[in-house]
Amino acid sequence: MDFAANLFSSGTLSQILVGLSRTTILFIVSSGMSLILGVLRIPNVAHGSLYMIGAFSAWSVIQLLGGGLFAFLAAMVVAPLIVAAVGFVLERGFFSYLYEREHLMLLLLTFSFALILGDLVKIVWGPEYRSVTVPVFFQGSAEIFGLPLPWYNLFLLVVGPCIAVFLWLVINKTNLGKIARAAAVDGEMVGAVGINTGWIFAFTFVLGSFLAGLGGALIAPMVNISLGMDHSLIMETFLIVIIGGLGNMWGALLGSLIFGLTQSLGILIWPQFGIAFPYLAVVAVLVVRPKGLLSSTW
Amino acid sequence: MRKVAMFLAVAVSLFSMAGSGVAGDTIKVGFVDTYTGPATTFTNDVLDGFKMAAGKINAKGGVLGKQITWVTRDDKFKPDIGLTMAKELILKENVDLLVGTINSATALAVSDLCKKEKVPFIVTFSKSDKITGEKGHRYVFGMNENTEMAGRATAKVLAKKKYVKYWIAGDDYEYGHAIANGVFDHLKKLNPKVQLLGQSWWKVGETDFTPYITQILAAKPDFVIVATGGGGMVNFQKAAQSTGFNKKVPFYQHTAIELSTLMPQGQNAPEGVYGTANYLFYNPSTKENKAFVEEFRKTYNRYPKSGALYGYMTAQFIASSYAKAGKIDREKFIDAMEGMTLGSPVGKMEMRACDHQVTLPMFFGVTKKSPQYDFLVAGDVVSVPGKDYMPSCAEIQKARAK
Repeated sequence: MDFAANLFSSGTLSQILVGLSRTTILFIVSSGMSLILGVLRIPNVAHGSLYMIGAFSAWSVIQLLGGGLFAFLAAMVVAPLIVAAVGFVLERGFFSYLYEREHLMLLLLTFSFALILGDLVKIVWGPEYRSVTVPVFFQGSAEIFGLPLPWYNLFLLVVGPCIAVFLWLVINKTNLGKIARAAAVDGEMVGAVGINTGWIFAFTFVLGSFLAGLGGALIAPMVNISLGMDHSLIMETFLIVIIGGLGNMWGALLGSLIFGLTQSLGILIWPQFGIAFPYLAVVAVLVVRPKGLLSSTW
Repeated sequence: MRKVAMFLAVAVSLFSMAGSGVAGDTIKVGFVDTYTGPATTFTNDVLDGFKMAAGKINAKGGVLGKQITWVTRDDKFKPDIGLTMAKELILKENVDLLVGTINSATALAVSDLCKKEKVPFIVTFSKSDKITGEKGHRYVFGMNENTEMAGRATAKVLAKKKYVKYWIAGDDYEYGHAIANGVFDHLKKLNPKVQLLGQSWWKVGETDFTPYITQILAAKPDFVIVATGGGGMVNFQKAAQSTGFNKKVPFYQHTAIELSTLMPQGQNAPEGVYGTANYLFYNPSTKENKAFVEEFRKTYNRYPKSGALYGYMTAQFIASSYAKAGKIDREKFIDAMEGMTLGSPVGKMEMRACDHQVTLPMFFGVTKKSPQYDFLVAGDVVSVPGKDYMPSCAEIQKARAK
C-alpha cells in the first residue's frame, strides 16, 4: 500500500519532470548512436568516449572564456563541434576502410577506439576530476509542491524537444537526411543510383558524434567530469537503442522516455530498488517485442 | 641456427634480469594499483607521496646502505589482472614487498597470494574492513582507514547530535553499504533513540542524483547518510547544490571534506555538508604538516590529498622497519613493522601489532567557504584519534576466529 501512496504523492509531478530532464540527455546521446547504427550499421562502442570528450571539451571552453553564461553557451556549440571533428577523423581515417569487411571488424575497431580515446582524454586533460559550474542564470531551483526542481533541469526540458525537432527536420526535410535514410534501408541501391555513399556515411557519423558531444556538454554542469564517465553511459545508451528498435530515431526517443521515467518513478515507489526498474522495463519490452518497440532498420 | 642463437640470447637476458633482483643491492618495492580510469586521481597521489619520501631516504644513503627502488603495475581496477601482476612482481621481479591497491577485491586477492607466498603487502587505499579484519593475517598491513573505522568515527560524532529520523542512501555495492551501515549501526548502539526512516540505493557511477534527492526530501528525514565514493562524491554534491538539498536537510558523506571532492567544484560546492577524511592539508596546522605540504607542493605543484599521506607513510614505515630489522629479510621485516611507531604530518602513528592496522586520526568537519582558497574547506574540525574509534584487538581476534 505504501507503494501506491508514494506514487500518488505530491512528489510525483516533480519526479516525472526530473525523469524527463534525464530523458533529454539520454535521448541526445542515444539518438546519435541510433543514427550511426541505422545508416552505417556500426554498434559504436566508442560513442561513450565521444560523449566524454564533449564534457571535457566543454570544461576547457568554459575555462578558456572565464565562465559565465556566454562561456556556457559557447561551450554548448564549440564542444560538440570539436567532437564532430574527432568523429570526422575517425570515420574518414579508419572506419571508412572497413565497411566492406565483416561487421565484427568494425565492432572491434570501435572497441579499440573506446580504449584509445579514454587514454587520450587522460593524456590531454589528466586524471583529476573536472567540474563545470551551472551558470548563475540557471542556478537554484523552482519549487513544485514544496520539492525542488533545478532550473537547469527545466532548461534541459526545453532543449530536448528542440533537438528532437531539429533532428526530425534534418532527417525528413533535407536531401542529405533523405539520402541517409535511403542508405540505411538499402545502401547498395543508393550507391547504384550514383550517390557517393562514403560522404553520406561521413555526414551521418559526424552528426552522430556531434550529438554525443552535445550530450556530454549539456551534462557537464550536472556531473563530475571524470575518466570513466563513458562507461557508465554506454550501457544505458545501448539498451535504449535496442528497446527502441535498432537504428530508429523515434525508437531512441521512446526508449529514453521509458528509461528515464521508469527510473525516476521507480525511485519514488521503492527507493531501495530504484535502479532495477529501468532494467525491468527493458526486460518487459524485449519479452513482448524482441525487435524493439518501433520498427528496426536492421 | 639463427633461431637457436636468438633463443639463447633471450634466455640469457631473462636470466640476468631475474638475477638482478636476487643480487639484493636495492630494496625493491612492487606497486600493484589502478593507473587507468577514474581511480587514478587517488592512486597517483599515493605513488607521488611514496616517491617523495623514498627519494629523500635514498638521498641520505638509503636503508642499510641500500637504495629503495620501485616498479609499478597497472591492475586496471580488475582483480584478476591485479593478481596476475602481483604474481609477476613476486616471481619475476623478485620484489621484497608489495604495495597497493585501491580496489578492495584486488587487495583481498593479492593479500591471499601474499599469505601463501609469505611476502609482505601494504594496503594503501582500498576501504574494505575485511583486509585487516576477518581476512587479516601476518603478511598484510593497512596504511589507511577502512569502512568500519570511518563508520565508528562518524557515529561517535553524530551520536552527540540531536537528529532522530535518519535516511541512508548510497552506491549499491560493498563500499556504499559498508559505510552507510557502519555509521548507522554504530550510531544506533551509541544512541538507541535514532530510527531509520528509509533507504535508497543507486548504481555505481550514477550521474544524476536529482530524482533521489527529491524523493528523500519528500520523506522529510532529520539527517541523511550518503554513502557514495570516488567521482560520485562530486556528482552528488552538485545535485545537492542545485536542489538546495544541503540547506533543507543536513547530510554526511565520508570524504565529503576531502580535497578531491571539493577542489574541482571551486566556490560552487555546497556548504554545510558533514564529512570525514584521514587527511586535510590545512589541518592540523602543525610544523610537521606545513613542512609536508610545502615539500609536496614544491615537488608536484599541487596540494597533497589523503593518498599522498598514505604513500609517504608507506615509504617511511618500510625504511624504518628494515633499519630496525637490520637485514633484508621478509620475516624480520614483519616483526620489525609490528608495533612500530613513527611521527607523521598528522601526529604520531602506530602500526598495531595485533591487526597490522595503522592508527590514523579521523577528521570530522563541515564544508564552508574560505577567504584563503578558491575552493571550500572543512570547518569546525573535530579530530578523532585512531585508538578512539578503531575496533579493539579483542574484536579483531573474534572476527578472525570466525
